[in-house]
Amino acid sequence: MTDILLSIRNLDVEYITPGDPVCAVKNVSFDIARGEIFGLVGESGSGKSTVVQAILRTLPPPAIITGGEILLNGKDILSMSDREVKKFRWQEISIVMQSAMNALNPVIPIRKQISDVLYTHKGYSREKAHQRIKELFDLVDIRYDRMDSYPHELSGGMRQRIVLAIALALMPPLIIMDEPTTALDVIVEREILFKVLELRKELGFTILFITHDLNLLLEFTDRVGVMLKGELVESDEAIRINSGGQHPYTKKLIGALPSAAGPRRKDLLPRPEQFKIGEKPLIEIHNLNKKFHLSGFIRPKMLHAVKDVSFNIYPGEIVSLVGESGSGKSTIARLIARLIPPTSGTIILDGIDIFKSEPRSASLNYRRKVQMVFQDPFGSLNSVHTVFHHLARPIIRHRLIPQAELYKYIIDMLETVGLSPGSLFADKFPHEMSGGERQRVAIARALSLQPELIVADEPTSMLDVSIRMDILQILADLRVEKNVAVLFITHDLASARYLADRIIVLKNGSQVEHGNSEELIQSPQHTYTKQLIAAASPGWLKKNLLKTNENRDSK
Amino acid sequence: MSTRLNDSILIRWLRGILTNKKALAGSFLVLSFIFIAFVGPFFTYDPNAFLDTPLSPPTFTHWFGTTGQGQDVLAQTISGARQTLLIGFCTGFFVVVIGALIGGISGYYGGRVDDVLSMVINVFLVMPGLPLMVILASWLPPGPLTLMGVLVLTGWAWNARVIRSQMMALRGRDFVSAAIVSGERNIRIIVIEIMPRMLSLLASSFIGASIYAIGAQVGLEFLGLGDVSTVTWGTNLYWASNDLALLTGSWWTFVPTGLSIAFVSFGLTMINFGIDEVTNPRLISERNWRKLLPKGKMNDGITPVVINHD
Repeated sequence: MTDILLSIRNLDVEYITPGDPVCAVKNVSFDIARGEIFGLVGESGSGKSTVVQAILRTLPPPAIITGGEILLNGKDILSMSDREVKKFRWQEISIVMQSAMNALNPVIPIRKQISDVLYTHKGYSREKAHQRIKELFDLVDIRYDRMDSYPHELSGGMRQRIVLAIALALMPPLIIMDEPTTALDVIVEREILFKVLELRKELGFTILFITHDLNLLLEFTDRVGVMLKGELVESDEAIRINSGGQHPYTKKLIGALPSAAGPRRKDLLPRPEQFKIGEKPLIEIHNLNKKFHLSGFIRPKMLHAVKDVSFNIYPGEIVSLVGESGSGKSTIARLIARLIPPTSGTIILDGIDIFKSEPRSASLNYRRKVQMVFQDPFGSLNSVHTVFHHLARPIIRHRLIPQAELYKYIIDMLETVGLSPGSLFADKFPHEMSGGERQRVAIARALSLQPELIVADEPTSMLDVSIRMDILQILADLRVEKNVAVLFITHDLASARYLADRIIVLKNGSQVEHGNSEELIQSPQHTYTKQLIAAASPGWLKKNLLKTNENRDSK
Repeated sequence: MSTRLNDSILIRWLRGILTNKKALAGSFLVLSFIFIAFVGPFFTYDPNAFLDTPLSPPTFTHWFGTTGQGQDVLAQTISGARQTLLIGFCTGFFVVVIGALIGGISGYYGGRVDDVLSMVINVFLVMPGLPLMVILASWLPPGPLTLMGVLVLTGWAWNARVIRSQMMALRGRDFVSAAIVSGERNIRIIVIEIMPRMLSLLASSFIGASIYAIGAQVGLEFLGLGDVSTVTWGTNLYWASNDLALLTGSWWTFVPTGLSIAFVSFGLTMINFGIDEVTNPRLISERNWRKLLPKGKMNDGITPVVINHD
């Protein structure tokens, strides 16, 4: 038997509620061997973060641990006294959190934040702490003269490396990483993971890695545990999970993943045959600019969020805007939906320049033709109203359907997006439906006005991986059935590739590359697109590791 | 066509409040005061009539004794409740309505509209309320409407501020953007989409404002700034003090009124706690959680291990 560092046996965690307690983690058991990388994957609410916080015993009220054992080096964390827990926390296990900006204190220089750990746990002297900080900065490749900086003066990637340095400060045998790269760009994410692997090779710690991104886990870990609704449904070597896994849920997760690289899979979102995209542009966007005024009384700052963006969308076409967070893609969505006015530029819909020669009544007309689906189906539906209200209001406002036919029309709409029987869903309130069902309602609402363009702003990013493809399929079907054009906004190159006819890549508010989606994926021109595609292709981590090893050897 | 109201979040809240112990106790207290204020005066003596020896302690004919003018204290306390509660709740209502209107518009539209309305709100916030109240009340002709006007004028700004920030928070939510994209009119978005989401805030604002109004009103009248010829809780206290109740030791002239004010405020506060617990279930969860902790242990940031709890 290999050397087991952490062993979790039959862990149960409950949350106290006004009614019966809710079981968040049920009977979870797994072992992590010394020196290995163990990945825990699951959708939001699956209990993966709860397991991690139970290990550190940092679950906030109203959570209680109701059973099991957590053995670290054979010692049970759950039977430790409070004093022992406080001592073991950073000494034996440290954690790297998702958002470095929240993990670091914004009003304290980073040097002090590291030395605090050293003073508290090791009682180091000033000089000794100084020496140690220097070593740690070297480890994570940050120049030593940056140590008096405040967190906001560092980039996202640097901040995450500082958090990593704090986690390494006491050299604990186990480091937990709870979605450490989710808030970062793909390219920076790569860099960080790379650094982690290097450090592990050098220092030999063990990693428990939590993420919802199965693709990433399969690249990065030795073994993977899959969590579903508080239970560990499968735990196996990453290679075996990658080839399909045992549990039907794992199979679904693996099968649901489109990839940005390689030849196109035929079974996912097949291209419609005999479908013709219109020839006259439906909407033309010319030199769109948006500047935001940021705070600052003496010297007001400007954020140029969208820079000279121009493109056309043809009737029935699906165009995808792809970019990292902060690339301005959501701002473009809001500009086209006319939720915010542009600083300059023109939008021409059906030959009418909407900012110049628009007659008064035309603004309502524009609203009917251009509809939007929002990212978060929990926020875009109003919890005090029924599904019927959500769908009926736009139709009544635009006097689209006579009152007598309204109910039947709405039932039809709901069934179009796969909510059947429609009469059952029409009476539901948002909180009575799952995330996927809510997003379908949001799509039905956009659709109920018979629009010509639907702007979909990351419609799948808040949904569970296993149902993302279903939502994309609905959008793909709609354009064939209703001839509606879709502007699909996403950070995920792979889903853009499968859904869209054309892809526009954005970076820092500017168009970087623009082309037919399959051509753009197969032969990207711009370096940034190439980086994006490389980072999203399976095997990138191993390839890169090999490369650096060769470099080292040749040196 | 059917719309099911039963499981709407508002109905669930109402149901929650009706089963919440604190809210029930508070409502019972407040409703019984309202009931007594409404029907009581039909069964008591005339509160203004000279009935018996002045300042006589409680007896079987006069349960709460008599005042310095020989009036029945019980009758005065009961009929005093009428005007005091009426003005209190009306003021609370208008404070919330004006606050919701100005704060809501300010928060929803933002920009220039917000600049102007915020300035107005801020001016009313920095004006010293109590001296203004005293000056206005002594300058205007005394009477219940004057009192109400003065209380609304000095009390609406804080509510407007609170509602404005809540409105700003909800304004940025996607369901509002979705309503805008579907072509909905602004006024409809504010009233139909956003206001129901603020119901718990509006309800607790109403209760808070009512408590404030009852207190401030009694204070003004106690200082003699109300209409001293009417019978209210404030004037009861005013006359008690004029008749040197404390010096003569005739406690029965002010204790019933004082306790009534305390009980009504207490009842309203309990309702507010109830609303809080119903709309924020976490409060109850955390209370139940604390009960599971070993005796004497506090929440010190270490998750407790509780095996075999029920």
